[in-house]
Amino acid sequence: MADSPEQIKKSIKTYTFIGLVLFIFTGVTVAVATVPALDIGVHGFDHWDMILGLLIASFKATLVGYIFMHLNHEKKAIYWIFFGALVFFAFMIVLIMSAKSDPIHFNGFDLGLPF
Amino acid sequence: MEIPYIFTPRKDTGMCNSKIAIWLFLASEVMLFGGFFSSYVYLRLGADYPWPERALPVLPGLINTFVLIFSSVTVVFAWAALKLRKWGMFQLCMGITIACAAIFMGLKGIEYNVKWHHQAVRLTDYTILEGHLDKDPKAIDAKGQPYEADVIHVNAEKLTFSTVRFHKPWVEEIIRQAEAGKATVALAEELSLQGQKLPAGTKLSVDLLEAIQKNHLKSRANNADVRTDALRGEWVAAKAKAENAGKQGWEMAPNINIDPAKIANSIMVETPSVSFVVTPPTNLWFKHRDIKEGADQSRLRDDTAIIGKLQDSPVAFHNLDAIDFRHVVMQAEKKGIDPVKAIENTWLIKHSKEAKEAWEWNKAQTARLEQELLDKYGRDENNQPKRVPTLTERYRIGWKDFVAKADGVDKGKEKIHTSEEFMGPNYELREPKHTFPHLHIPRELVFLSGKFTPAWNTYYAIYFTMTFLHGLHVIGGAIVLGYYLFRGKKMYQSNPEWLANRVEVGGLFWHFVDLVWIFLFPILYLM
Repeated sequence: MADSPEQIKKSIKTYTFIGLVLFIFTGVTVAVATVPALDIGVHGFDHWDMILGLLIASFKATLVGYIFMHLNHEKKAIYWIFFGALVFFAFMIVLIMSAKSDPIHFNGFDLGLPF
Repeated sequence: MEIPYIFTPRKDTGMCNSKIAIWLFLASEVMLFGGFFSSYVYLRLGADYPWPERALPVLPGLINTFVLIFSSVTVVFAWAALKLRKWGMFQLCMGITIACAAIFMGLKGIEYNVKWHHQAVRLTDYTILEGHLDKDPKAIDAKGQPYEADVIHVNAEKLTFSTVRFHKPWVEEIIRQAEAGKATVALAEELSLQGQKLPAGTKLSVDLLEAIQKNHLKSRANNADVRTDALRGEWVAAKAKAENAGKQGWEMAPNINIDPAKIANSIMVETPSVSFVVTPPTNLWFKHRDIKEGADQSRLRDDTAIIGKLQDSPVAFHNLDAIDFRHVVMQAEKKGIDPVKAIENTWLIKHSKEAKEAWEWNKAQTARLEQELLDKYGRDENNQPKRVPTLTERYRIGWKDFVAKADGVDKGKEKIHTSEEFMGPNYELREPKHTFPHLHIPRELVFLSGKFTPAWNTYYAIYFTMTFLHGLHVIGGAIVLGYYLFRGKKMYQSNPEWLANRVEVGGLFWHFVDLVWIFLFPILYLM
């Protein structure tokens, strides 16, 4: 962990930079969703917009986690706790989604779906 | 007591206790929010109505995203300031963080408030109408104010209350309305309670119903005891009979009955319901969610039966600010009907001149947009246009479209004031051009009517659930950070590293709250 005053001063610059990056990517998310000229996939909302939106959100979340929450220099136990929870959550979602016969017509992640 | 490992690492974990604790807590939060995110996915995939894509105003959500990101930066600055031992800087950064939380919640409050006051009606033919309602001059509430024109009027002649289920405030409301209509509500027939006779014509009051209820419950309990005792007696007698010797209980059971004549003297009269006559028959009104109306007889949710003719009870829009045919189209396609034909056969298009005009205008706009997209993007190898207008553009006429139509400009070129981006249309400003039509909808065509609350559809249900839970986290986080700001001076003076550690841990929570919003914003506002 950056603990000496020099290191702290250095990381303040990093935080400012990351803050700016988060601002810019928020702007990008809104722009691709609202400006027709920047629209990807078909005209209007479709699965490509969803994928792009979630990718940008995941990227932003990763920045917040790694830089603001100091996961970039954290002890291993923390990774086990936090990513363990994420993996466990993903596992549970897969369990639910593996249902073959339910009223929801979701046939896997083949990306050709009318989301 | 000395608390160990506040900021010195424990040998076994290599970390101080508070950090492990907050990460364990955040892991449980991942599961909590994860559960709601998966609910969202399933509600959306399983919705049997057109999911309201990009239905929320983006600007307040966008500002809130910026505010939260900004506060995430300031909270980490506050921690760095403590590490550098700059108390003033810490105060400033933490103060800004808490102010950001207040701005966030303020905007959220405005957003909720607008939803909570925005009316929606789904007709039986799946047309959805949105806007604000007129006042109903015949429905005056207890404060003397007219209620919204979304009530059921009944010309009540007779009321029958369920003695055990009647809802006190509704009885009081009926009495108030009858008095306002100069009618009396009086007992239909003589009623005898224990040691008391209530003559026909006794006026309805909550006290009276409560006395009848008390008497009924007492009688019911007494009668149950009497019947149980009698049955027990019959069993004893049956078992004593020689012919029943050695028989099992189930063999004797069919022949064991209570003789009504024997217990007639001990049985008390039960009054499960009690009827009152309204003279002269008078108009009573009820909120539509409280009543199941019928032509000659209606029933309230507390089982009060109202005999009387149903009166004209339209839903009256003062400002109709959106017409949505997407659900009509969805149903038409299911049945293999041409969507445009289905829309042009709806009650709305057949009965409202303004709605028909708006629909024709929208059709022309869609055709223009279709041509524009074709010119710009061309056709694919199957000779189909590469890009076509969306369902929303084709079949939903939103308030901005009404504005564009009134201003005589193309769809998407309308001038919207910034305040309108937050609060919805400014009706007074738009009034001179008759931007938004008035509309009366007969009650029998109304399938569902309500504000944009969780009760409206699963989209609003999950939207309110997730944002409300997130809002609670914002408030909780702000309280903790506020505690460090206003109560942290002493700790800072005695042990600055301790406070720095606490702020770091509080900050971790704050970043997590930001992290959740980073996902909530696109899925609720942009997708």
